Amino acid sequence: MKILMLVMLLCYSFASSSGDTTIHTNNWAVLVCTSRFWFNYRHMANTLSLYRTVKRLGIPDERIILMLADDMACNARNEYPAQVFNNENHKLNLYGDNVEVDYRGYEVTVENFLRVLTGRHENAVPRSKRLLSDEGSHILLYMTGHGGDEFLKFQDAEELQSHDLADAVKQMKEKRRFKELMIMVDTCQAATLFNQLQSPGVLAIGSSLKGENSYSHHLDSDIGVSVVDRFTYYTLAFFERLNIYDNASLNSLFRSYDPKLLMSTAYYRTDLYQPHLVEVPVTNFFGSVMETIHTNSAYKAFSSKTSNSKINSEMPLNQLSEDDELQKANIPNDELKTEKQKCPYTQMRVDLQEKLEKLENVDTVVNLSIAVMFIVVMVSSSLL
Amino acid sequence: MASLVRSWIPLLVLQSFLFAIAFGSTQVEEFSEALLLKPLPDRKVLAHFHFENRAPPSNSHGRHHHLFPKAISQLVQKFRVKEMELSFTQGRWNHEHWGGFDPLSSMNAKPVGVELWAVFDVPQSQVDTSWKNLTHALSGLFCASINFLESSTSYAAPTWGFGTNSDKLRYGSLPREAVCTENLTPWLKLLPCRDKDGISALMNRPSVYRGFYHSQRLHLSTVESGQEGLGSGIVLEQSLTVVLQPDTTSIETNIQPSWSLSSLFGRKVVGRCVLANSSHVYLQLEGRLGQESKNVDTEIEAHKLWKNADFELSFKPDRVLRESSSFLFIFDIDNASDSEPFDLGLTWKVPSKWSCQQAPLHASRFLMGSGNERGAIAILLKATESQESSPVRELTDGRCTIKANVFQIFPWYIKVYYHTLQIFVDQQLKTDSEVLKKINVSPSTDKVSSGMLEIMLELPCEVKSAAISIEYDKGFLHIDEYPPDANQGFDIPSALISFPNHHASLDFQEELSKSPLISSFKEKSLVRSYTEVLLVPLTTPDFSMPYNVITITCTIFALYFGSLLNVLRRRIGEEERFLKSQG
Repeated sequence: MKILMLVMLLCYSFASSSGDTTIHTNNWAVLVCTSRFWFNYRHMANTLSLYRTVKRLGIPDERIILMLADDMACNARNEYPAQVFNNENHKLNLYGDNVEVDYRGYEVTVENFLRVLTGRHENAVPRSKRLLSDEGSHILLYMTGHGGDEFLKFQDAEELQSHDLADAVKQMKEKRRFKELMIMVDTCQAATLFNQLQSPGVLAIGSSLKGENSYSHHLDSDIGVSVVDRFTYYTLAFFERLNIYDNASLNSLFRSYDPKLLMSTAYYRTDLYQPHLVEVPVTNFFGSVMETIHTNSAYKAFSSKTSNSKINSEMPLNQLSEDDELQKANIPNDELKTEKQKCPYTQMRVDLQEKLEKLENVDTVVNLSIAVMFIVVMVSSSLL
Repeated sequence: MASLVRSWIPLLVLQSFLFAIAFGSTQVEEFSEALLLKPLPDRKVLAHFHFENRAPPSNSHGRHHHLFPKAISQLVQKFRVKEMELSFTQGRWNHEHWGGFDPLSSMNAKPVGVELWAVFDVPQSQVDTSWKNLTHALSGLFCASINFLESSTSYAAPTWGFGTNSDKLRYGSLPREAVCTENLTPWLKLLPCRDKDGISALMNRPSVYRGFYHSQRLHLSTVESGQEGLGSGIVLEQSLTVVLQPDTTSIETNIQPSWSLSSLFGRKVVGRCVLANSSHVYLQLEGRLGQESKNVDTEIEAHKLWKNADFELSFKPDRVLRESSSFLFIFDIDNASDSEPFDLGLTWKVPSKWSCQQAPLHASRFLMGSGNERGAIAILLKATESQESSPVRELTDGRCTIKANVFQIFPWYIKVYYHTLQIFVDQQLKTDSEVLKKINVSPSTDKVSSGMLEIMLELPCEVKSAAISIEYDKGFLHIDEYPPDANQGFDIPSALISFPNHHASLDFQEELSKSPLISSFKEKSLVRSYTEVLLVPLTTPDFSMPYNVITITCTIFALYFGSLLNVLRRRIGEEERFLKSQG
């Protein structure tokens, strides 16, 4: 009995740590402009454009961490004080009356960036500067600046390497700080920054391949510098047509990038991300659109849980022993089922307990499971 | 019977509630808004927004606020702040033209960047922890990197040089902090009407930040109730001072530019903030105008005050207050509405000139010496014209003297030699005992704490100029300590010069005004002025040096070993033989 309990506990912890069973409950965005100095105006405009977009699509200010490495809006060189534009028509002031910058100037360092991602702050750091995401969070991480092969420069003084990014993301996954993470990078050779990523649930898109530059879109002769980068410009062009109720998929966003217009090849890495891009609406990351669940009565935990308990007790057993291929094949099914069920964390525990109590013929179950394990191990070893 | 009792209960509750209101009427939160406009002699216009929010003393637990911002009261309670001032400033106050001897300039002329000081009500040992936590909290609240003030190298504990005597005072400033709309927005969110209604609706961001000077200030003080069981009340004072340049379309350049609220801000006042107890707009006219039409009493004469041969106002003032050298026109904005917006305008008809009253001494600061090794800092105090007519004169042993306090913080990498302090009065080197009344020095410790210098000078009244110079060595920073733009140089925070015997106040003869802005002007405030920020270039390493060294060394090694190998192993004769045999 004890052994069974142990096995069950193991399975249970495995199941919950995989994070598949939690539902998407909130959205966060971390928007980083890493470049200092006036001639990098466009990077700040990029970041602020994305800031405006995610805010328009429903992510509130307290769930956006905005990092700007320099002050362009009130820069002495800015002919339009307190205004930032991303187009030479100057129709849209990105630096409106309600911008909350969380990290700015010298605070935008690799250290602070990694602290925000991993959540390891000093005690005194206020809530507005923390990424307080949880296992139901979808996070959009947008970075822009100057980069190269597997690195991104911060303030022209430090570098964030692809290993650092991958480690931080891995730590976030272990700390259950996200359900799904989308990394969007607009720099030269952006794709190389994703090389080391391994954590599941991560979707990455970069503006250019290795060896390619990312170019700015156009120059504003009034401001005197380029005001937006091509990749971000066309991303915005896509989003400007959308509102919060639109159901455009990520796939349509990714397809909208035309290498001829970008003058570079947008690269997206999906091998760590299980759902089909066609089915994922962009508002999963760029907005905050929650699924509403209608109940006739007052709120209480879900009642129909029969099929779900099956998943809990059997699937993890298989997952523990089966080889990678089988697991991969299983996960989509698992995902689909859980997508339908949307079972909360507590309900699962209750089910498990019930199941444990119901078990009568303990020995047979143990024997059976051991036999199954043997078979599976034999099959997998013979395959190898 | 029971039903009777039950029906009485709500009535009783209501009655007790009404009683509470009736007796607690002195204990309500009060908010007031005011805007002071003042044409400046150098063709600019000063606009000073003033908001005051008072929370009465109440039980500190379970406190409920109607108007007072919760964020601030939580801050006060958590860190036990007794008094605090935070200012965000860009631009430099022009003491010569904009005045240096009035309450407005002594309170609102602030050093560039962020300045923060706070007095805590905690045991001495906890003051530094409270300060650290406060800086972090404020940085989150106001979207600024105030948290850089947490490190002991960036703040100091002034003893008497700052003007507030307390051993629980901490002072710090960040000269290079950018100030922009993201700092103004959270500041406006503390107001009950935000920037949606009332006077604050005028704050159009591009017009505010286009100005020559803008300083956004937040002053917080607690008022002890003196009663047992009651906490302390909080007074939150928020002010924004901007100096704007009106658009001049007039051809005549010697006439002061005419302006209106809509031409300055691009907006008009369309109503008052309904939550405010008082909303007023003031217009202060200084100098000649005031003196000329001094004795006006009748109704017609009063009318001439605002529509005369010199200038014309577009609205009739509700009241006019007189001061020794200026006039104050008061406008109520209660009647302003969407159809009838309040758009005060001032039109000048003839050229006019006036000057502002100045502080007894004008302070400036500069660097001396050259090279990246050492230098000297000099503070120059120059007599101003108004000094002759200054009403306040201190007589010490029959001599007329001016007292001046100098308060200065040095970052640790500016290693000041305090023994090199020299004081020149009218170009004559003076010994310490002659002019130096008091001195307090706290030397800096490398990478641990900043240095601080407080001196009190007593100068004769007829002084023309006084200079203080002090020498320093430049320190070396660790490679990690350089900011990303180290080549730009490092800023030394402004020095504060205050005149402890000079107090500025506006003395309105007529009445005791209820308006907090007027009453704050009536209070005597210490005359103080901040000097410029100094930019000190430090030796900055070539940050690409390590890479250069590595590449060069590798090249040399490759060449050396390559040629050595070539020399040692190559058999030229054999190679030739091999070639011949092949050929």
